[in-house]
Amino acid sequence: MKTAIKGSDAFAYVEVELAPGEKVIAEADAMSSMAADLDLQAKFNGGFFVALMRKFLVGETIFVNHFSNNTQGERRLTLVQPTPGAVRCLELNNETFYLQPGAFLACTGEVKLGVKFAGFISWVAREGLFRIVVSGTGKVWYGAYGALLEREIDGEYIVDTSHLVGYTPGIGLKLQLAGGIFSSMFGGEGLVTRVVGKGRIVIQTRSLSGLASWINPKLP
Amino acid sequence: MKIDFIHQPGNTAARVVLATGETLTAEGGAMIAMSGHLHVETTTHKKSSGGFIKAVKRMFAGESLFLNHFTAGNESGELWLGSSLAGDMMRYELDGENLIVQAGSFVACEHSVNMDMGWQGFKNLISGESMFWLRMSGRGQLILNSFGAIYPVEVDGEYIVDTGHIVAFNETLDFTLTKAGKSWLSSMLGGEGLVCKFKGRGTVWCQSHNPKSFGSSLTSGLKPRRA
Repeated sequence: MKTAIKGSDAFAYVEVELAPGEKVIAEADAMSSMAADLDLQAKFNGGFFVALMRKFLVGETIFVNHFSNNTQGERRLTLVQPTPGAVRCLELNNETFYLQPGAFLACTGEVKLGVKFAGFISWVAREGLFRIVVSGTGKVWYGAYGALLEREIDGEYIVDTSHLVGYTPGIGLKLQLAGGIFSSMFGGEGLVTRVVGKGRIVIQTRSLSGLASWINPKLP
Repeated sequence: MKIDFIHQPGNTAARVVLATGETLTAEGGAMIAMSGHLHVETTTHKKSSGGFIKAVKRMFAGESLFLNHFTAGNESGELWLGSSLAGDMMRYELDGENLIVQAGSFVACEHSVNMDMGWQGFKNLISGESMFWLRMSGRGQLILNSFGAIYPVEVDGEYIVDTGHIVAFNETLDFTLTKAGKSWLSSMLGGEGLVCKFKGRGTVWCQSHNPKSFGSSLTSGLKPRRA
């Protein structure tokens, strides 16, 4: 499988070249164009129950699409997320990674997709009540609105609400005020997420809920 | 007429240099800035072709009802064009062939290019994507825009493009609205819905992002309109 992330960080999309017999799994509606003879199968994402959880609790779609190449030659497929922004490829080597709702774009066939309770703190922090768990060995593509920043954490780090995209399992979330009561209320930061532990976090430079709250007061 | 682009692909703007006597036809609202002496005329139709009915058809196609015609008189001038969604632009030079443009992607064209609303009939009604097409013919340059980056796909045989991702395609290609993959059920459940299947030989220019998908992920965070 040959893959490339194109379109720069502003409008990243993933081009996948599937060899005969290969398969890629993508979020519903992620396909923007593909060779006409690729096979597409919509499947429950990780079984019926997990798929239902994903739909109603994480706000992700109930189905994922399995694209497989049953032809004799290489076939191309283009995948993209709904928001303009960066896409990263994560190589899992018998590892686990947590993704925020909406961040998952695609993965290779061997990767396991699941849903896990993230805790009420995560929910209050507008990071969602549940999180997506990708585990196993293979490639995972995830994306964000805006660019992506990576930080190695050992101890504590503070992230504005709704900017967290993903994190390694060694990390826990806590909620706190950005500063004192005054600066939190008037400084525009309000609540922030405190990530605690040892591992890696990924942050998006923009947030869709931030854009929505900018538009909201301007609506007629 | 000289056309070039700056700040691609994120915040693309087109700079058009008009020589004396040249006219550029642009979608209403596309002009950002221009030389003070350019002559502007606003019509509901392409000058000397069609009339009000065509304009109404174009409005239904998601385009502005009005077209602006910018003409350089005795002096040459320049004109800047932009689009409302962040993304790329492309230039295409017609040389007698026909190009089908997704209505929302049209920005501007030279006066020598003919524009016609292509009515794809029933195909459009069932797609729910308000897919309307402009058939561009004649000779001259046109400017198209996209949401996100633009990539060309050379079709030789069959290729599928999701309906929200089409910018333009050669008329040598035939298309049908159909399912992605073999099963209707999978295509519907998997959120792909109807897609365009292109057949033949030619190029399809695709936009990397789908305005409708971005719209629906944004609007879930917006407050309902006050009655």
